[in-house]
Amino acid sequence: MSQLSLKRLEKSFNEARIIKGIDLEVADGEFVVFVGPSGCGKSTLLRMIAGLEDVTAGDIEISGKVVNDLPPVQRGIAMVFQSYALYPHMSVYENIAFPLRVEKLPQAEVDKRVGAAAKVLQLESRLQHRPGQLSGGQRQRVAIGRAIVRQPKIFLFDEPLSNLDAALRSEMRIELMELHKRLGSTMIYVTHDQIEAMTMADKIVVLNAGEISQVGSPLELYHKPDNLFVAGFIGSPKMNFINGKVRSADGAKVTIDLGSLGTLVLPRTSTAVAGQDVTVGIRPEHMQLGSGEFTLQTTPNIVEHLGIHTISYSTLPGGEPFIGLFDGDPSIEDGKALTVGFAIEHVHLFDARGLAVY
Amino acid sequence: MTSTRGATLFALALLAPALLYILTIVAYPLVDTFILSFTNASLKPDYDFVGWANYQRIFTAGNFTDVILRTFIWTFFSVSMKMVIGMTGAVLLNAAIPGQTVFRILTMPPWIVPMAIGIFMWGWMYNGQFGMISGLLQNFGLTKGPIAFLAYGNTAFWATVVTDVWIGVPMVTIYFLAAMQSIPKDLYEAAWTDGAGRFYRFRRITLPLMIPAIITMSLLSLIATFNSFDIIWILTQGGPSGSTTTMIIDTYKTAMGSRKYGEGAARAVVICIFVSLFCLAYFRAVRKLQQGEAK
Repeated sequence: MSQLSLKRLEKSFNEARIIKGIDLEVADGEFVVFVGPSGCGKSTLLRMIAGLEDVTAGDIEISGKVVNDLPPVQRGIAMVFQSYALYPHMSVYENIAFPLRVEKLPQAEVDKRVGAAAKVLQLESRLQHRPGQLSGGQRQRVAIGRAIVRQPKIFLFDEPLSNLDAALRSEMRIELMELHKRLGSTMIYVTHDQIEAMTMADKIVVLNAGEISQVGSPLELYHKPDNLFVAGFIGSPKMNFINGKVRSADGAKVTIDLGSLGTLVLPRTSTAVAGQDVTVGIRPEHMQLGSGEFTLQTTPNIVEHLGIHTISYSTLPGGEPFIGLFDGDPSIEDGKALTVGFAIEHVHLFDARGLAVY
Repeated sequence: MTSTRGATLFALALLAPALLYILTIVAYPLVDTFILSFTNASLKPDYDFVGWANYQRIFTAGNFTDVILRTFIWTFFSVSMKMVIGMTGAVLLNAAIPGQTVFRILTMPPWIVPMAIGIFMWGWMYNGQFGMISGLLQNFGLTKGPIAFLAYGNTAFWATVVTDVWIGVPMVTIYFLAAMQSIPKDLYEAAWTDGAGRFYRFRRITLPLMIPAIITMSLLSLIATFNSFDIIWILTQGGPSGSTTTMIIDTYKTAMGSRKYGEGAARAVVICIFVSLFCLAYFRAVRKLQQGEAK
């Protein structure tokens, strides 16, 4: 049985439909990341699971029980907020102990649970401090501590790292992953940062405009995106898209006309049919300099030398932006034409509706 | 060297209008009153310095100590009621209820209506023969006959307090509402997620985070209420039998009614000392709160 089931879940604010019929199963102990651009409904979905937003239609089940009308505290969840939501007038100890005080647990039990959480989160020396005296990372840990002491079935994280600087973010990412391993609890994590999604998730749920675009493991999403949105959203720099038309398709190969760039032949069985408009997708990191099974000429407008990588940004004759990511520090210059190529096996194909064609 | 001097002169030139204003409007009357309090000034053209005689007289003869006590009681009840009603109003206006804006607007009239008109309105409501309050009490059978609230010491005292509260509450409510709305919504959501009910959230989150606003408003209200003159003067002129005579009314009566300017000035100096102490408490509280925030 899944720990959490969402069944045709919908949410509307007046006329605006924010969540449009979401179905999702989350297994016990899974680390699930909701990812998507701003306004896609990921935070709303999390708040619905938490009980902070009403459900317009559909059901939320936790451990097999419909919890639509239950207050948050009876759902067995704990939430960590983007802003940390720490009580500024209380000490770290009292912040972590807050849910236990609400439950009116005996002082000995409060001490025990707060002590245990503080140990896990390395906050023991900070218990008497106020949140204002802590660094961003420590505040985040206090917020997590407040969630841990409740011993919830499901942890909900709403963009918990977005207020931290880049270095601290990667540190906290690792801490959260270790925490997940140690506690073994189900965690649902909302972010707009695909690196967080890719590195932390057992399962990623990509949301777009209130709907699930794709659910899968990080590498499934990377290697086999179901649609143009997921293909463009997962991966950095984002996938290149080139418009084309299927010239012919038989059981063994698909021939695609890419206009002035030439003809691309994909030796694969496909559902594509002749005359169909398609989009060819190729990731910047799959580009090679000077050679490849398919080559094209580009003139970079901008080149970024990062030491470990070099990234070139150019525009194709059809007007599509085109990015190449190359290992090391090859001699590429702005405004100087270069030949790039790629292996056919890396090509993704999407139909006119944006769905993957295999 | 020259440039430093030039900068100092320029700074003084910029400060001059404000300094002149303060010296004329604040410092001169204050010093003049202080000097006057050591004289026997009256309507007569000349006066003599009498040393501490005025101060000795107000604290030994007459009922000035009763007046001080009455002023503190009057102020205490008025400020406390304003704070409690203001806080209750702010909580209600902060609740997500339909027509919230309308209710917020409805709190404003006591503040918007010119003070004298509001006070006269209350004067009529307290009237025994035509007053609404007495009429309602009789209609509901709570009193046998008409009550002229301003004609008896006890009722007049409370009538002036109620009017002062009515006029003062909107500002307190709006101030508390603003302070309440500056508390991040996330804190309440986090507490609600942890199972904290409405009253628990108010007690452990709203109230502690409102303490700076409560202290500030209480002290500002204390200063204003302590010096409240127009409400009592229009309603009762300090009567009946001095039952609503506060320090400010007493000072006015002495100086302007009895034309004892010297003695009146001594009373004014005593008020000034009390208010200065309240101001000192206010500034210390503000400094402490700012230091607390800086932590």
